[in-house]
Amino acid sequence: MDFTSMTELLALCESTNRSIAEVMVARESAKSGRSEQEIVETMKLRLVRMKEAIDQGVSDQSLAPSGISGGDAYKLERYLEKGEQLTGPIVGDAMKFAFATSEMNARMGIIVATPTAGSAGILPGCLFSLHENQKYTFEHLVMGLFTASAIGYVIANRAFISGAAGGCQAEVGSATAMAAAALVEIKQGTPRQAVHAAAIALKSLLGLVCDPVAGLVEVPCIKRNVIGSSIAFSAADIALAGIESQIPCDEVIGAMYEIGKKMPRAYRETALGGLAVTPTGEAVKERIMK
Amino acid sequence: MVYNSCFDIIGPIMVGPSSSHTAGVVTIGKFVRDFLGGEIESATIVFYDSFSETYKGHGTDKAVVGGLLGMDTDDSRIRVALELAAAKGLQVVFEKRGDCPYYDHPNTVMIQARTARDIAVIGGVSLGGGISKVFYVNEFAVDIPLNAPYDLDDLRNKLWHNTRCEAAVGGA
Repeated sequence: MDFTSMTELLALCESTNRSIAEVMVARESAKSGRSEQEIVETMKLRLVRMKEAIDQGVSDQSLAPSGISGGDAYKLERYLEKGEQLTGPIVGDAMKFAFATSEMNARMGIIVATPTAGSAGILPGCLFSLHENQKYTFEHLVMGLFTASAIGYVIANRAFISGAAGGCQAEVGSATAMAAAALVEIKQGTPRQAVHAAAIALKSLLGLVCDPVAGLVEVPCIKRNVIGSSIAFSAADIALAGIESQIPCDEVIGAMYEIGKKMPRAYRETALGGLAVTPTGEAVKERIMK
Repeated sequence: MVYNSCFDIIGPIMVGPSSSHTAGVVTIGKFVRDFLGGEIESATIVFYDSFSETYKGHGTDKAVVGGLLGMDTDDSRIRVALELAAAKGLQVVFEKRGDCPYYDHPNTVMIQARTARDIAVIGGVSLGGGISKVFYVNEFAVDIPLNAPYDLDDLRNKLWHNTRCEAAVGGA
């Protein structure tokens, strides 16, 4: 029971009458020889580590060693408390939790890569916002992590998930696609809807370059995680409405790979292009590297 | 396929800030230590391409040294690995180069490390999401994924450098 494309994944879901998450658990069990229960428990531990990073990050007002990030999760929380945010409580909390996780990452705190550290804010941000606002339990969230891992597994093996290999589309793009699919399955959407949510999310981020100021995973990475979490909710809602991506998900992944392969080195995590070489980006680099 | 498990995608649990530039490199450093099987006294670490441009900001230097000291990806001492190495007398030299001539990937590192008895030259590539593999050991091109179990004794038997034989002969 294995799959190398979204088409194969959906065929497996259909033939076994399982969700994407259930297929991924069964696949992992068959491959590793560990029981399904053990695998779910291991994943639950990762969910707990995500929650710890969020809890710490929301209250931590300290700056990262670079001085260019930190304290924005706290600032957003103060704003959300007024209840006047344009995006509503679900996206608001997802953004706050994404900030918290990505800021902890920049402080060299302990996080869980989902699929990478540079994109680690999106999936936990989305999942724990559902937990806060719609009372989904940790058990639901753990299954969401399996859904997300199946999407990431296909993308990682067919294309790439690192900024150095394929640009930010490979990191924040993949993470957002994973989160969108997880949201759909937690909300009882079909596997097909989940895969379309992933396609819609990834399409929206195609071409995004990796241009970190001073080479740090802070600017613009942290805010791209925050925005990624809101895109994941939009993509999930679109898919749950029954709207489909006109380009099949496997082809969107193929397009991401093609774009990444042609992306100049300056835009693949070398800090030699884009925002990294703006006057402000260069000034920050000079100050930090001094 | 490089990624084999749901935990390759949701994971590793790690000290930030970069899975490829931090966690994946801890794992390569740890392999070097395990392969040599003892305390490392000195190491020359060559960063290529993306690593060479951004290693300071990503803590890649701390990560590789943390691995050489035997740390795992979620060991919070990685933050102070350079200070710990200095305190232990582990001498480290970093070099920066352009494209890696031995492996076509932007995130590559070559490590020459010495213990009291042995020396090894090991090349590693960090593939993204904290997954890495070793592609070079002591003049042998190899393909050792570090997200799967490997047999250290078997690897040592196949891949020891001539210097090991000389050391053994010298010591006999």
